[in-house]
Order: sequence, then C-alpha cells, then structure tokens
Amino acid sequence: MRIGLFWIAAAAVGIAVLVLTRVFFTNEYFFFAAYVVLQYIVLSTAWNILGGYTGYINFGTGAFFAIGAYSSVVLHKLPALLKTFDLIIPQIPLPLMILVGGIVSGIVGLGTGYLSLRLRGVFFAIATLALAVVVQTLIVNWDFVGGSRGIYIIRPAKAPLGGGYIQYLYTLMMVLAVISVGIARWIERSRLGLGFAAIRDDELAAEAGGVPTLRLKLIATTISGALMGMAGAPLPYYVTYLDPASSFNLAYAVNSVAMPVIGGMTSWVGPIIGAILLGTIQQLATVTISSALNLLIVGLLLIGFVIIAPNGIVGLVQARRRARGERLQPQPQEARAA
Amino acid sequence: MAEPILEVSGVGKRFGGFVALESIDLTIAPGERLGLIGPNGSGKSTLVNCLCGTLRNETGRVLFDGHSLDGLIAHERTRLGLARSFQLPKPFHSLSLIDNIRVPLLYTVNARHGRRLSAAEVDARCQELLREVGLADKARRLPRDLTQVEMRKLELARAVATEPRLLFADEAMAGLSPSEIEEILAVLLRLNEQGITIVLIEHIMRAVMSFSTRLAVLVAGQKIADGAPQEVVRNPEVERAYLGE
Repeated sequence: MRIGLFWIAAAAVGIAVLVLTRVFFTNEYFFFAAYVVLQYIVLSTAWNILGGYTGYINFGTGAFFAIGAYSSVVLHKLPALLKTFDLIIPQIPLPLMILVGGIVSGIVGLGTGYLSLRLRGVFFAIATLALAVVVQTLIVNWDFVGGSRGIYIIRPAKAPLGGGYIQYLYTLMMVLAVISVGIARWIERSRLGLGFAAIRDDELAAEAGGVPTLRLKLIATTISGALMGMAGAPLPYYVTYLDPASSFNLAYAVNSVAMPVIGGMTSWVGPIIGAILLGTIQQLATVTISSALNLLIVGLLLIGFVIIAPNGIVGLVQARRRARGERLQPQPQEARAA
Repeated sequence: MAEPILEVSGVGKRFGGFVALESIDLTIAPGERLGLIGPNGSGKSTLVNCLCGTLRNETGRVLFDGHSLDGLIAHERTRLGLARSFQLPKPFHSLSLIDNIRVPLLYTVNARHGRRLSAAEVDARCQELLREVGLADKARRLPRDLTQVEMRKLELARAVATEPRLLFADEAMAGLSPSEIEEILAVLLRLNEQGITIVLIEHIMRAVMSFSTRLAVLVAGQKIADGAPQEVVRNPEVERAYLGE
C-alpha cells in the first residue's frame, strides 16, 4: 500500500516538475543543465543500490553508462546497416533504445558480478576499475560505433511530445529518475533490502542467517548496471557527437560515488540530495567559472564530507534527530514485506 | 539409539601444509547436549565451519537428518535446520535488534516450503525471540548499544530465529562473568528443552560439565575422546592434552 502510494507521489512530483519547468523556463540551456542533474540522480541512485545498500564499491560506472550509450549508437545505425541487406526497418524510438541499453548493461552487470563478487572490499573495487578499462578498449577498437574518432549522431528532426528535442530528452530522463528512485526505495523497504544490508554488515553472518548472498549480490549488480545503462542510452542524442573519451569520462565514476557519499548512502534520499546539490553546483560552475573546476569542487566536497559527516547529509539529519531523542531509528520498519 | 541427527564421517581439512582436521568421526543423537572441547587451535571452530558450510572439508561426508550436506553452501544448510552462533559476535551493526532477527526469519523460515509468515507474524515472532533472551525492550536499538552478554544473547536469538534442529554455540560464553555464564546456560538449556540439539564449543569447563550430556575432545585436529563427561575428563590422554606431561 505505502509503496504504491510512493510511486504515485513520485510520479506526481516528476510530472509537476516537468510541467512547471516547461512553463517557466524558455531558455533551452536550462534543459541541457537539468538533464545532467537528472542523469546524475539516476546514476547515483543506481550506484547506491550496490555501493550503499550492499556495500560493494563500484568504480566502473563509466563502463555501464557508456555501454548504454553505445548500444543506442548501434541501434541508431541499425536501420542503415540493414538497408544494405535490403531490410527496411524504421528508426528505433529512443524509449526502446533506453530499454535495450538497460538490458545490455544489466547483463554486463550480471556477468561482472558473477566473475568478481567472490572478491571482497577493495579487490572488488579494483575489478570494476579494470572493467571500465576493458570496455573502453573494446569501444575504441570497434569501428562500427566510431572507434576512437567518435561518431556523429543526427537527432530526429521532430521531437515527440512537442517542444524541442532537448525537452524530450529531459522528459525521458525525468521518467528514468522517478523509476530508479522508486526501485531504490522499494528495495530499501523489502526483504531484498534487508538482505542487502545484512550482506553489507557481515557476509558470513548473513549466510548463517539463510541469506543467499551470492544470488542477492548478483541481483544488486544487475539492477545497478541496468539503471546505469538506461541513464547512458540517451547520451548520443544529448551530445550528438559521442567519443570514448567523453562517454567514459572519469567524472561519471567520481560523481556517482561522491553524490551518494555526500547525500548519505543508507537511504534512497541520499543520492537524490547529493545529485541535486553537486550536479547543480557543477552546472553553475561550468557557466560562471569553468568546466574544468567541476572535479575540483567534487574532490573538495568529498574530502570535507568524509571528515565532517561520513554518513552524508542524511546521516547528519539522523544524528541530530537522535541527539534530540526523537527516535533511535531513521524509521520504524514494520512495513517490510514478509 | 535413535536415528542420528548428525553423522560426521572422516571429515578432514587442511590449510596448506597444516592439517587442521584429520578424519573426524562424530555422531550426534537428536536432543543431545554435546560439549566439544579442546585446547586452542585444536580445530573446534574449523569443524563447526566445515559442518556449517563456511569452509569446505576436503575429505569425508556429513549427513544431517539423513541428507548429505556435501556441496551445500552455508545458507542452504541453515535452511535445512543447522544453525550456529559465531565465536566473535557478528551482529548486523547498521540494523536494529529487531531487524537483526528479521533477517533469518524472512530468509530462512519464510524460505522453507509450505510456510509463509505475514509481516505481522514476523514482527510478533521477532519480539518473542528477543523477549526469550531478555532483549525485548531494546528491540529498536542498534547492536552497538549492547553489552557483551547482550551481544551473545542477540547472537543466539538470531541463530534460534532460523528454527534450527541442531545449534552450534561456538564459545557463546567466552569472556563473560560467572553470573552471565549462568544466564547463557539457562537460555541454552531452555532451547534444548524445546527440542533443539545443541553442540556447545567451550573452554569454560564448569559450564561445559554442567551443561553437557556427552563430551567430545579434539586435540590437534583429532578426536581423542568421546563419551560421558565424567569419564572423558578422567581420560589420561585428555589430561595430558590439557595439563601437559
């Protein structure tokens, strides 16, 4: 019941923000900037499902993100390719590309998980770094998707839903953000989330309590990877020129770690707060100072938070509540589904 | 003797060149209270780890209630009814006590065939389990707020939540005061009365002697004695292992 209500509320918030921004902002640049912030809500929420809930740090966000982007490139070029074989198919719509990008990245997430989840702690993190390097090497050497030269993507002339194409991309990313936050919150309140937390706290004890740890970790890598891929799928149409250097940019990996850490990793709210805060600061800095400053800002904030508030903004709020003696737990959890 | 609940035959385990367990045979009858003793490093915990699936034994077979445990991973053994508490308590430190208990209930009891507790039933059962070990009023606290003895009780409650038929209590009393030991012993005896077979791994002889109906002794990875507690402690080999030549 409460979960159903949340979905309705989240959708309502998403639609309200969409409508309000479309009414009040006529400048296209606003949508360019807001798209990036929404994209980071998806990425950091996805990262947090594995990193925050299950406790496995993933530095390979860029790989999953780029796999989504490049699967869209393949689908974009598919009609032209098939035409040479006298097969005529229409241009594939972007929502379908997002779905495919999610599936491909999800499968890669599952595979990565299967190969690397016997590694714990820092070794898993190193394996995900390696994944990013491997995938980037593959893309650089794959000529069909542009190789190291990169590839130009021509947007469709007409955007669905009225308005410009960037508004359309913005709308899609808003839908993705609502979906990923909804999934994260559902996981948090379900048996699955409890199992994830048990794994994060102590894997041996989790197994002894009957938690099938390997299976749960695979679920986490798959969901996390799929959402990251979905966030990346519209990227070719956003940038219109896609190359490995930008699609595998270090910023994606750094930001998707930094945002949950700054916002708070134990709750679905944390990544949203972190993404909005950091994403907005970065967009403002890009316009007013320089785009090179972005990672510096992230770095400084990250260091600051790790020292002052290791549990992020959500952690700070919870600590203050505890200090006031309101409640000992962030929320009573009798709503967990049995 | 009734059909054994656990039948261990020829279990061996090496760590590199070190033989931790050498062909252990052990049979446990339903309802028994077995004390498993031995000097530090004699392989007690390794044996428990092998039986519970945390480690893989290289040789030997383990039958639990007639089912072979070979190749089953830890959570599958837990679901069959084999539970353990850890020597060093391993609470889920970010979860409240009630959620600590909820994990095994949702993942073991509700994962077994033919039974599915509702959310309210799970909640009630969690409270009941915490009450049994005297932690009901701390249900919403985090494990870091607990004392050592409370931590051990949480560890036991979490093992009992899986509704086991056989429970390994791995040094559940180490470092506790005499009165606290009595508390834990009382909990274990009550569990045994409820029909749970208990294997107590312990150094504190007074506790072992008052609790066990049978005693098995491991020394350097070998079982050197097995029988009635009073006879076993008088066994010259056991005396030598504990007191030296």
